[in-house]
Amino acid sequence: MNIHTTPQRTPAETALIDAFSDRLSLLPGDGTVMLKRDDAIEAIKSGLPTRRIESWHYTDLRRLLASVPDFDPAAAAKAIAPIVEGSAVLPVLNGVSSTKLPTVDGVAVQRLSEKLTDGSAAPGLDPYGTDDAIGALNTAFVADGYFVDISDGTELDKPIELQNLQAGGQTHVRLGVRVGAGAKAVIVERQAGEGAALVSSVSQLLLGEGADVTWLIVQEQPDTATHLAQFKAHLGKNAKLTLFVMNAGGKLVRQEIVVKTTGEGADFTLRGINLLAGDTHTDVTMVLDHAVPHTASTEVIRNVVTGKARGIFQGRINVHQYAQKTNAKMACNTLLLSDDGEFSTKPELEIFADDVVCGHGATVTEIDHSHLFYLMARGIDEKTARGLLVKAFVAEVIEELDDEAIVEALEARLDGWFVAHG
Amino acid sequence: MPAVQDTIDRVRKIDVDQYKYGFQTEIAMDKAPKGLSEDIIRFISAKKDEPSWMLEWRLEAYRRWVTLDEPKWARVHYPKIDFQDLYYYAAPKSTPGPTSLSDVDPELLRVYEKLGIPLKEQEILAGVQKTDASELEEPSDNVYKSGRVAVDAVFDSVSVVTTFKKELAQAGVIFCSISEAIREHPELVKKYLGSVVPTSDNFYATLNSAVFTDGSFVFVPKGVRCPMELSTYFRMNEKNTGQFERTLIIAEEGAYVSYLEGCTAPQRDENQLHAAVVELIALDDAEIKYSTVQNWYPGDAEGKGGIYNFVTKRGDCRGHRSKISWTQVETGSAITWKYPSCILRGDDSSGEFYSIAVSNGYQQVDSGTKMIHLGKNTSSRIISKGIAAGLSQNTYRGQVSAHRKATNARNFTNCDSLLIGDQCGAHTVPYMEAKNATAKFEHEATTSKISEDQKFYVMQRGIPEEEAIALIVNGFVKDVIQQLPMEFAVEAQKLIGISLEGSVG
Amino acid sequence: MLEIKNLHARIVDDGTEIIRGLNLTVKAGEVAAIMGPNGSGKSTLSYILAGREDYEVTEGDILYNGQSILEMDPAERATSGIFLAFQYPMEIPGVATMEFLKVAMNEQRKARGEEPLKIPEFLKRVKDAAASLNMDMAMLKRPLNVGFSGGEKKRAEILQMKLLEPNLCVLDETDSGLDIDALKIVSDGVNALRSPDRAIVIITHYQRLLQHIEPDTVHVLYRGQVIKSGDKSLALDLEANGYAGVIGQAA
Repeated sequence: MNIHTTPQRTPAETALIDAFSDRLSLLPGDGTVMLKRDDAIEAIKSGLPTRRIESWHYTDLRRLLASVPDFDPAAAAKAIAPIVEGSAVLPVLNGVSSTKLPTVDGVAVQRLSEKLTDGSAAPGLDPYGTDDAIGALNTAFVADGYFVDISDGTELDKPIELQNLQAGGQTHVRLGVRVGAGAKAVIVERQAGEGAALVSSVSQLLLGEGADVTWLIVQEQPDTATHLAQFKAHLGKNAKLTLFVMNAGGKLVRQEIVVKTTGEGADFTLRGINLLAGDTHTDVTMVLDHAVPHTASTEVIRNVVTGKARGIFQGRINVHQYAQKTNAKMACNTLLLSDDGEFSTKPELEIFADDVVCGHGATVTEIDHSHLFYLMARGIDEKTARGLLVKAFVAEVIEELDDEAIVEALEARLDGWFVAHG
Repeated sequence: MPAVQDTIDRVRKIDVDQYKYGFQTEIAMDKAPKGLSEDIIRFISAKKDEPSWMLEWRLEAYRRWVTLDEPKWARVHYPKIDFQDLYYYAAPKSTPGPTSLSDVDPELLRVYEKLGIPLKEQEILAGVQKTDASELEEPSDNVYKSGRVAVDAVFDSVSVVTTFKKELAQAGVIFCSISEAIREHPELVKKYLGSVVPTSDNFYATLNSAVFTDGSFVFVPKGVRCPMELSTYFRMNEKNTGQFERTLIIAEEGAYVSYLEGCTAPQRDENQLHAAVVELIALDDAEIKYSTVQNWYPGDAEGKGGIYNFVTKRGDCRGHRSKISWTQVETGSAITWKYPSCILRGDDSSGEFYSIAVSNGYQQVDSGTKMIHLGKNTSSRIISKGIAAGLSQNTYRGQVSAHRKATNARNFTNCDSLLIGDQCGAHTVPYMEAKNATAKFEHEATTSKISEDQKFYVMQRGIPEEEAIALIVNGFVKDVIQQLPMEFAVEAQKLIGISLEGSVG
Repeated sequence: MLEIKNLHARIVDDGTEIIRGLNLTVKAGEVAAIMGPNGSGKSTLSYILAGREDYEVTEGDILYNGQSILEMDPAERATSGIFLAFQYPMEIPGVATMEFLKVAMNEQRKARGEEPLKIPEFLKRVKDAAASLNMDMAMLKRPLNVGFSGGEKKRAEILQMKLLEPNLCVLDETDSGLDIDALKIVSDGVNALRSPDRAIVIITHYQRLLQHIEPDTVHVLYRGQVIKSGDKSLALDLEANGYAGVIGQAA
């Protein structure tokens, strides 16, 4: 008798596996792509990750993903105005890319469905590591998205905004961007919509030598949506990436950030804001690999937790043995404003090189009473004073982005959240 | 830091990987047959003349243990341990249990003498203790030689003697081996054993619950300040023998006790297993200070041999305003898996963890703490200093959590790592979990190597390179060293210097 | 006492040549001032004298009492009597200043074949030296240079110099960061160390310090070479007319 039985599948696992059989005939892809989809669904069949998987310790996906909506062919999402006026907008509506696209000099855009069909998108579908549940889910189901190529030396004066918008059901999207040597761009990734959706979104960014990119992820899903996202980037020699992530919505959110410095002189900056309300479960997990010498990174994450929200930040910095002269600093600061809310943080350092300067700091606090007292002593009522302090706490991170149009656009999103939840 | 010069001198005198305590003693031993089974547990229990409830407790733990798997989450790698290939009981034939000093086998006394722990009771004369000690004066180099500390000497599976029992008894303090406590004070043991680390806690704790052989028992009654330092000195001697010690310390209301633990083992090519459980209980207003200098044999320069040290240490601040403080200097063992923790249950209770973990050669350390804030106004402090050299891996793993009702929980954590050489690794894995809005947690961590600027500055004053590094390292660990009783601090500093020997240049 | 011959040196990391054929001789009993604009190689020269590994001597030699010191490590140079008062003294956390002084003084004694100092004698020497520099003993119980103000660090450097009794003292921009009172105390400290068998090299940008410590010779360093030497009047001339004139003549 075999006593080691596979644990019973959850309704969500069953729904995903069934959906794959149903959708198979509709999914684009050549032989290689389809084989990768098969591998991916096999990974899902072996079970969604539980808290026993270290990288999913605080987000037991198997338990938290109670159900999965069906694909909804009738869902009709509409494109929205970009956060920075004049941006070139590339919308993906209900998981489908557009055929009518703006033209920008030095930028070539291809629909991802085409790259799946001809197989050229196949190499990007491989999972990273052993616990890549989001990658597997996306690889199994991804049908569309964009691939954007910014040619060498191109300097964009307006942002490109990639919109992933849904109106319920399931959407699985991939956004690939290659930035050529010496090119400069601002890229906005909007994640929003309505309805009880399941969204998986994988962004892949490749930075050539000396490329300089600011990438903004603005996630404002409804409090009924499950949002499973991944951002992966490789930084070439002297490349510079500033990644800004704002999570201000969603019921169950996991945003993974996987960054690797592959060229000397690469410089990575992460600035994150998590605005958590209601009963959201929001998990930001970063894995940063310093794989070559002389690279630098700084990460600053600010979290505001209200209501019954549960927030997580996991940040792991790996400094490889040959990555001498690495300079890495990470800070995670949380304002826990509610007794029903909670925040967990795990800032890890894994260091195999000796000539490095690495550090991290983390705090969880409530509002500083002396600051509150000071404002109230100047005649500001407590509610307003609290609001000012909380906003200032997160706005600091935004103000660091020294592009006025972006700072204004993000502050507007911030204000919107505070009006809704303040 | 008076030890610096001495550290260097001693380092110089020692050849590569000369573990000072690596000698082996030929003593006739009484052993249980190899392997683990219910019969072996019955054998141990019978040897110890235990009451039936104790045997039942052990058997229950054993039955649970066979269903468990070894934990895999720590950053340590080692070949699978064959638990049936070990001896679980070994006691010197001449001294099969605790006895009075005059009856201990002189050969055993010589072992402890050689280890620098003379088992004798020196008179404590009022007024002769050093009073106006200048900070620059060398204190006596060994806490045990000062004769002001009571020692429970554990040799493989048994306690061979406990000193100063009479004097302690006069103060109402019970200090004896756990085997003796099970026979003589069953009501206390029954009440507290397993109440902090339940038999089902984890793989190694469960194993320990089934097969523990000896360890120390301390009971400090209400209102009593223990009149001297208490100490247990663990010695593993016999080949292929696991040591499973069990220590239980209870401080009743308002009591205070400071306890030290030291350990060494012979140098052998085979790995040896040490799986201990330590439970501390502090009632209202009580304070327990627990210091460890862990110097088990670390293995040789090629990574052969050494002790596998899998230890569960936990303190329960059960009473209001109680305090438990852990201080550890970890320099030995091939593998260290150890997380001395505090459960801050009582309101206004506090926990502290001060740690220095030094790894060299092929050593692997995965150590840290848990501070579980349950009561109101509880506070905790963690200071961890990791030093990795050679080919070693040194991980700090710690958890701080504030539960819903832990209003005003406070934690401050600082963990710094120092890397010496480019073949080693230093890792920091802290978990912070806040479920109360009034909690305030602060955590900071750094990893760096000794700065060239600092080294150059010190050398410019005429101090040679190795000594310059020792000086800077001693500065790096000072916050923790200060937490140790003074004589222990000197010993610990020397040990750190010796552990890092050969790592420079 | 010190003889630098056609010294060429570069930064190991990137190969930049900083010292380009420098010649300088300082005799026992002499106080030599080395002046020069920013970037002329003044601080580099002090580091090279003390043996910092970041710089590589590619040509020439440094003789100290007739012996080349290029093969000696920093500690060996220090115990042979070369002392560098740093422009930016290092902070070393956890290492008590007193303990550091004791170890350093005993290393000097060991090099001379003397017994380590007895504690009371050590304390007496430190107390006397500290008193002469108006330093509080409480400061010496703190970790080395940690949390010291700029002025306190400089005083601590001079204190170390007094206690270690070097033969060749190199003072790198010792006047920077000092207010006028501290400058006076530090200068008095240096002047007290003047003796026929000791040479002092003062590296400075301004003439200010030289009003308090009168130099016997003044050397202008520019682009890694001594371009002009003279007596103390040269310093006054530089103060009045700037470096431009001297540099112009040399060019």
